[in-house]
Amino acid sequence: MAEPASSDNLPALEFERLIACHECDLLLRKPLTSAGEKVECPRCGYELYTHRSQVVRRSLALVITALLLYLPANFLPIMQLNLLGQVTEDTVWSGVLGLYSSGMQSIAVVVFLCSMAVPLLKLLCQFAVLLSIRLDIGRSYGLLLYRIYHHMREWGMLEVYLMGILVAIVKLVDLADLSIGLGLFCFIALLLVQIWLEVTMSPHQIWEALSGEDKHACD
Amino acid sequence: MRAIDAGLLICHECHQLNPHKPDEEKQFCVRCGGHLHARRPNSLARTWALLISAALLYIPANLLPIMTVNSLGKGQSDTIMSGVIELVNYGMLPIAAVVFIASILVPTFKLVGIALLLYSVQRHQPMSARQRVLMYRFIEWIGRWSMLDIFVIAILVAVVNFGSLASIVPGYGATAFASVVVLTMLAALTFDPRLIWDNTKSDDDHE
Repeated sequence: MAEPASSDNLPALEFERLIACHECDLLLRKPLTSAGEKVECPRCGYELYTHRSQVVRRSLALVITALLLYLPANFLPIMQLNLLGQVTEDTVWSGVLGLYSSGMQSIAVVVFLCSMAVPLLKLLCQFAVLLSIRLDIGRSYGLLLYRIYHHMREWGMLEVYLMGILVAIVKLVDLADLSIGLGLFCFIALLLVQIWLEVTMSPHQIWEALSGEDKHACD
Repeated sequence: MRAIDAGLLICHECHQLNPHKPDEEKQFCVRCGGHLHARRPNSLARTWALLISAALLYIPANLLPIMTVNSLGKGQSDTIMSGVIELVNYGMLPIAAVVFIASILVPTFKLVGIALLLYSVQRHQPMSARQRVLMYRFIEWIGRWSMLDIFVIAILVAVVNFGSLASIVPGYGATAFASVVVLTMLAALTFDPRLIWDNTKSDDDHE
């Protein structure tokens, strides 16, 4: 548990030994964490630190898996619809194209960003950051890319898209002959790997590894 | 004690503490190079601006059709609410509930919630800091789920494409709705949660 720093003992502590809660600005003494420990802000409950072992190695494995799943998840058919002998297919990409060609370019761009571009860019940023830590090259680019990654985090919406697929399936299932495609399974796998990756890659450890403070990140 | 009182600035991006140098006009984080501010500049004004734009677009988003189903020469336009009612009429209650929550309850709750949060931070009323922080986290977390209807439209437009037999065309309500979702997400991002705790007496009584 992190302890709040009070004004009487503050002069004795240099700021390197302090941290502040990002959400409420409460000043705390930097806690010593060991693997598997979590530190929360005593005032607002925000999760400050999660310490995990072998962060870089495990995250690299997950990020490569996610990148391999990316193409089949987005370009293999999620579902096929058969209406009186006519068959249509749906992929994530064809959804974007369909909106674009029906004159709704602005929504097509939003859907493209939230369901394809941002998730891919996030994965590429994470991959580059992890490689830069692992191989010890280009740390300054790593820092920049990791900052960009944090700005994109909110805007990747794979889990919402999956819910959208489910709603669409329920709406269509009575109207025509519907069959599920391989793309849906790849999409679900991509989503799960991506969530797992986000849980594994604890930000404060990555920041410390990028700035060279954490020597054990690659263990 | 807050970091700002100790003359320390926390980086928005990497959460590194930096000593505040008041004589420098612009200060950058020693670790990641991000721009440092004690609080996000004009956080309240910007959040209000985004929120009001979202509230204005909320009207066409609910009144204009989000999609039109063409089937054998007949066209039927759906607004967000009529889509939900149709699902209820088909007896698909769980899905109707999901769509109702994601497309109607959540955006309305977000507009009201952010306005309440801004009002209570500016007036130091009528919620406690803890209630406000719970509200903020809930709004931040739930915002993305309103995109659900937009994704459903994208999928339906792509898959229901049988020429004159049956097809689905998106409507301008969808554009307005997508803008509401994006604007309210931006409003939640612009709001600085640390303002919730400033000017509260609960500064040290966090037990």
